[in-house]
Amino acid sequence: MGKIRKIIPMNRVEGDLEIQLDIQDGVVREAASIGTMYRGIENLMRGRSPMDSLVITPRICGICTTAHLSAAAKALDMACNAKVPDNGQRLRNITLMVEQLQNDIRHTFLLFMPDLIDSRYTNRPLYAEAFNRYQVLRGDTALQTVKETKKLLEIIAILGGQWPHSSFMVPGGVVSVPMASDIIHCRNILRNFRKWYEERILGGPLNDWRQIRSWNDLQAWLLQSPAHRDSDLGFFVRYGLDLGLDTLGGGHDTFISYGGPDLPGGSQAIPVEGNHLNSAAAVFTRGGVVPLDPDKISEDITCSYFQDEQPVRHPFQGQTIPCDADPDSGKYSWAKAPRYDGQPAETGALADMLVAGQPLFVEQVNAAGANVLIRELARLVRPINLLLAIDRWLAEMTECKSPFFEEYTKAVTARSYGLVPAPRGALGHWVTIENGVIANYQVITPTAWNASPKDGRGIRGPWEEAMVGTEIRNPDHPIEIEQIVRSFDPCLVCTVHAVKRI
Amino acid sequence: MAKTLYWIQGGGCGGDTWSLFNADTPDLTELFDFLGLELLWHQSLSARSPDDLDTLNADILQGRQPLDILCLEGSVIHGPKGSGKFDMLPGGPKKDLIRALADRARYVLAVGTCASFGGIGADSDTMASGLQFTKWAMGGLLGQGFISTGGYPVINMPGCPCHCEVVVGTLSAIAADMPVELGHYNTPVNWYSMMVHQGCTRNEYHEYRIEEKKFGERGCLFFYMGCHGPLVPGPCNKVLWNRRSSKTRVGVPCFGCTRPDFPQQYPFFETRNIEGIPIELPDGVSRAHYMAYKGMAAAAAPKRLIQRKTGI
Repeated sequence: MGKIRKIIPMNRVEGDLEIQLDIQDGVVREAASIGTMYRGIENLMRGRSPMDSLVITPRICGICTTAHLSAAAKALDMACNAKVPDNGQRLRNITLMVEQLQNDIRHTFLLFMPDLIDSRYTNRPLYAEAFNRYQVLRGDTALQTVKETKKLLEIIAILGGQWPHSSFMVPGGVVSVPMASDIIHCRNILRNFRKWYEERILGGPLNDWRQIRSWNDLQAWLLQSPAHRDSDLGFFVRYGLDLGLDTLGGGHDTFISYGGPDLPGGSQAIPVEGNHLNSAAAVFTRGGVVPLDPDKISEDITCSYFQDEQPVRHPFQGQTIPCDADPDSGKYSWAKAPRYDGQPAETGALADMLVAGQPLFVEQVNAAGANVLIRELARLVRPINLLLAIDRWLAEMTECKSPFFEEYTKAVTARSYGLVPAPRGALGHWVTIENGVIANYQVITPTAWNASPKDGRGIRGPWEEAMVGTEIRNPDHPIEIEQIVRSFDPCLVCTVHAVKRI
Repeated sequence: MAKTLYWIQGGGCGGDTWSLFNADTPDLTELFDFLGLELLWHQSLSARSPDDLDTLNADILQGRQPLDILCLEGSVIHGPKGSGKFDMLPGGPKKDLIRALADRARYVLAVGTCASFGGIGADSDTMASGLQFTKWAMGGLLGQGFISTGGYPVINMPGCPCHCEVVVGTLSAIAADMPVELGHYNTPVNWYSMMVHQGCTRNEYHEYRIEEKKFGERGCLFFYMGCHGPLVPGPCNKVLWNRRSSKTRVGVPCFGCTRPDFPQQYPFFETRNIEGIPIELPDGVSRAHYMAYKGMAAAAAPKRLIQRKTGI
């Protein structure tokens, strides 16, 4: 087979995406991640009141809306030197983590799993069962996911008014003051969801999973009982191995995580070894974990449709000036290329597990690097950490007499940032305030890290790198590419749709 | 015969789709069967192989595949300089496909404020518009005179996001061949003939002019905190969000997200006022009467409210 170039448009929620592949002899030799839409939100922040960021930035993404709110509020906390009282912090954390919880489940069962019932796999022994579980809008697990995640989000409505798109976090805390009955209601909703997650997804109590520290433990656990084997997690591991997902989509193996949210004072650490909610922002490589230095974050626009005499900037100096580049300019994406210390970095649930030192994931990545299976597995078990933490914060909120908001003085001049663990990984907002209004606003989303185009040195972004070297069985239907990109949890859905272009 | 539905996303965040996931009776998994709708395409919900999307588009545009309902979520992106290059499909700007599909559809629905009026991108360099409006002005992508083949202008369902009940209710009416009565800005009167304020649990504070001046204090958010509840239409406090609550109930001011100028050009979280009385008064109220009423109301306020002994 000769060399072919393909353009694959991929739809997702936070703007559209195409993947361009150069395939030779059935193997991907080069890949380009092309963001095809520009929404200009950073620029329309200029000249506005700093508080407007709490209303406008959540609208960047319809499924990470609370995460954007949280990053914007945190940046304003820093700008105004505002202190968030313990209960304000708890309410922020609970809502942020409920959003993450629904995302982990929805992404896995509504967006990722349908790839596994592709017609290519009809002859696999577990195909029929996978079809019954994950058929779009009809599979058992898919139906239950829609019902259960919808109920879970009621917690955010009770504490914050609505989901998606509320603005209940403000500098100095939150605006809402839930009554004890509201909190009890939230705990009941959470208990209901936990029961479903334990029975259906995990196949056993949350605490049992704490025993799994290695791949051998996981294999033993699968054999321990039919409940483990037939849970959605157990099924995914068995079917994923059969499909070879553990050999697909290795990347640079540099991971960035902003760790857990700020913990309220007086809150005990969450009692699970390797719980990412206890960890600080950090970068993981096979050489070890180093604490994150926010000054080392930059964005490179060499291959992005933006103009700048200085192609690499820290987000504080960042600017967003779209340009109409010709196709030979080397520019190919509306996404900028985020870099940490000059290197691309992968972010998401797996990064969270790695910086927290969760033994199973550290063992796997140290042994053979990341892959599609391990990324999804991390997303499937991250809810264990979240469920334990949310319940604890809810309980503490009733017991603690702390207020939810503390007054602060508005900032006239400031430079500040908010780094937040969003559902898809590391989310940062950087704001400059001059004369009491926003002078500059820059956002680096988790998907920007993962979907990054190449930089000035030609280094690929994480999922570009993960695609190169992949064997493509049918270039007209490159399901492998779909699985790789989706394992990073790109915003909403990626519809692989092959169009031949020269 | 089942009516067909095509859902296309323009410049948006996907929030209207995620809002639709909140639907209850029928929920999203039941909706299409329940109403007898055939979902031709939705980028995250349809089972159709995306490889067939080009074929589907060609079939619709050439009249081989009937299209009953077209829903747009997100704005129509015209920038830069009207070229649409900020939002491209492999075959050209997405705005061209949206227009071509709209010409074929019996009903064209703008789901959310971006699709209705341009929304978040209307003031940005993306030159975003709605389907038939750009902010307050009629026109947009399809033009003032656009009438779909079913005899309706674009049916606007603003809100950021649009409440799931509005989408489900409007689709139910169309599916059953019932008329959809439209009011201001071509919004269905069933959900936009009431103010967001109606049904807010803080109404009693409003009645007696007990106003919140700092967050968490509990009170009406209208005089100082920038609440648009009495100013803009919307069913938030009637149908509630996620079946539980609303922004104003928990102390978040209404940001007026159903209004054509959302997001407004003056600051959120504060109320523009003349000598302590808001510049914008509740829809249709005269200033003189309002000032007299508010003065008397404050004087009549019961202690339990002033002392915030009322749970909300």
